[in-house]
Amino acid sequence: MDKFRMIFQFLQSNQESFMNGICGIMALASAQVYSAFDFNCPCLPGYNTAYSAGILLAPPLVLFLLGLVMNNNVSVLAEEWKRPPGRRAKDPAVLRYMFCSMTQRALIAPVVWVAVTLLDGKCFLCAFCTAVPVTVLGNGSLAPGLSRPELARLLARVPCPDIYDGDWLLARDVAVRYLRCVSQALGWSFVLLTTLLAFVVRSVRPCFTQAAFLKSKYWSHYIDIERKLFDETCTEHAKAFAKVCIQQFFEAMNHDLELGHAHGALATAPAASAAPVATDGAEEEREKLHGITDQGTMNRLLMSWHKCKPPLRLGQEEPPMGNGWVGGGPRAPHKEVATYFSRV
Amino acid sequence: MEKFRMFFQHFQSSSESVMNGICLLLAAVTVKLYSSFDFSCPCLARYNALYGLGLLLIPPLGLFLCGLLANRQSVVMVEEWCRPAGQRRKDPGIIRYMCSSVLQRALAAPLIWILLALLDGKCFVCAFSSSMDPEKFLDFANMTPSQVQLFLAKVPCKEDELVRDSPARKAVSRYLRCLSQAIGWSITLLLIVVAFLARCLRPCFDQTVFLQRRYWSNYVDLEQKLFDETCCEHARDFAHRCVLHFFASMQSEMRARGLRRDPEPPEMPNGLDGDGSRKAHLRAVSSREQVDRLLSTWYSSKPPLDLVASPGPWACGLNHRAPTGAPGTRLSQHTDL
Repeated sequence: MDKFRMIFQFLQSNQESFMNGICGIMALASAQVYSAFDFNCPCLPGYNTAYSAGILLAPPLVLFLLGLVMNNNVSVLAEEWKRPPGRRAKDPAVLRYMFCSMTQRALIAPVVWVAVTLLDGKCFLCAFCTAVPVTVLGNGSLAPGLSRPELARLLARVPCPDIYDGDWLLARDVAVRYLRCVSQALGWSFVLLTTLLAFVVRSVRPCFTQAAFLKSKYWSHYIDIERKLFDETCTEHAKAFAKVCIQQFFEAMNHDLELGHAHGALATAPAASAAPVATDGAEEEREKLHGITDQGTMNRLLMSWHKCKPPLRLGQEEPPMGNGWVGGGPRAPHKEVATYFSRV
Repeated sequence: MEKFRMFFQHFQSSSESVMNGICLLLAAVTVKLYSSFDFSCPCLARYNALYGLGLLLIPPLGLFLCGLLANRQSVVMVEEWCRPAGQRRKDPGIIRYMCSSVLQRALAAPLIWILLALLDGKCFVCAFSSSMDPEKFLDFANMTPSQVQLFLAKVPCKEDELVRDSPARKAVSRYLRCLSQAIGWSITLLLIVVAFLARCLRPCFDQTVFLQRRYWSNYVDLEQKLFDETCCEHARDFAHRCVLHFFASMQSEMRARGLRRDPEPPEMPNGLDGDGSRKAHLRAVSSREQVDRLLSTWYSSKPPLDLVASPGPWACGLNHRAPTGAPGTRLSQHTDL
């Protein structure tokens, strides 16, 4: 268990590497699903193209949406997009950064599916078997003798070896080899193009917008972390709230019992000895409540968190009054630089 | 547990070993990709050469770009190249070293693909069967030139009815495979000899410069990683304080409205011991503008590599005054503390 925990910690310590891991897994899953999928070309003139187009395009769409869903940044992005500005202005650059990084990762599995489909060739063969140049590849002299629908019907059966009956016109192997060659060429070109695009985007970016990129990356991490910490703080608060509530209830019951049954010393002695312990625990819990102690206030807090997030400015603490800086005016951040720097 | 932790730490401490790991992974992926790829030569006159040569050259190009993409140091190198000089001058030697190390590692996977393709022979046979000289083989004496061309184009396809069980096809195919394997092994030998010589003879030339460049390129990489990690820690502390502030401000708002029942509000996480480190960590940089300024300064003017002379090199960046200043003025600002 410890081993697993360490591995998860290692992956999560860098959230980007965790997302990269998920990407890699989805890409492998995509290739595996393709190889497990049983491709059945219908071998009918109108249906071939529709079936192949469906196989080529629908699973990538599904994989793309799945990639977005599995990325927990989607809800963070949506929240940040829809929230009212309140005291914290919205930064479109941060939203764009989050959207771009999510989309890039979600696009990997669909690209793998399309590449594998094209390199395998079955889909392309099924879609374009009716467009094979018979005059060049087969017995061109016999082709004009057939009407167009008949030719189409004949050629549509190329992907199905057990029902193909056109060897007199065009050898099936020749057509299959030709179409596979074209399909594989398209597949490799697609792979090359995608890698080239990714390479250009990745390598050229630092030359243009590096400062803005660093800012957007920082604030997008910040938004994610802040949301998590807020949820954790709320959970702690709810726990403390519940504990204090229940303690108060028991104390009230106890008090009622004391008032109701006049057992005098017997009842008060244990109560008195228990009281200091109870107040210590209660004090700790009350501290955790941050002063929010009723439902109305808590509801108002939650609404305020959504409608009006606090500004990104923590300088409410007084700076040390060492050398005549009297509050107000610009604070002197460089005073604390030594402390900050020494930590690095 | 200790073993795992040491293993991960070792990996993360040296970026070179991480890069070597990625390089090996990509090489393994290349081998798997080649073996699972279904090679099917079109066996048509003009298409053979295109297909064969295309398969020999285009996947390596794609693998080379993948190798560059997968290597984090390529981005670090471009960043180092494009950054403004600021207080830290740029050393072109370091950039050249990083470039050569990135390129060497990225070339491994494409070379493996090319060597596998040559040693296997299918690509070569497909590409060059049509351009064989029929006079080398006696079996073509009785065929017309167009028949010969058709035959040669179909040599890579063993099952085609025109060339099935034909001794001429086997002869041509064997010849081309032999040639392909000879070229493959020669290239392998050449690469190994070149690598061996480069490795053995390098200490004879500029060893000190090499050591310095290797150190500083590793440093640049680690510094970038540490900066990212520190930013993450900072963001976490910032968020923590922000959230607590928010709760406290709600509480003071309630107090102001006279709605609170407790006479004395509980203190914020008090005492500098538990939270003191966090407070100190954040105090310098605790607003959006300051964080933005910190990040712009990190980009436009990295601190000089001199920790002893200037105790507060970041002071220039975080000041409202001009960023460049003599060390004397910087020190005097700090003596004001």
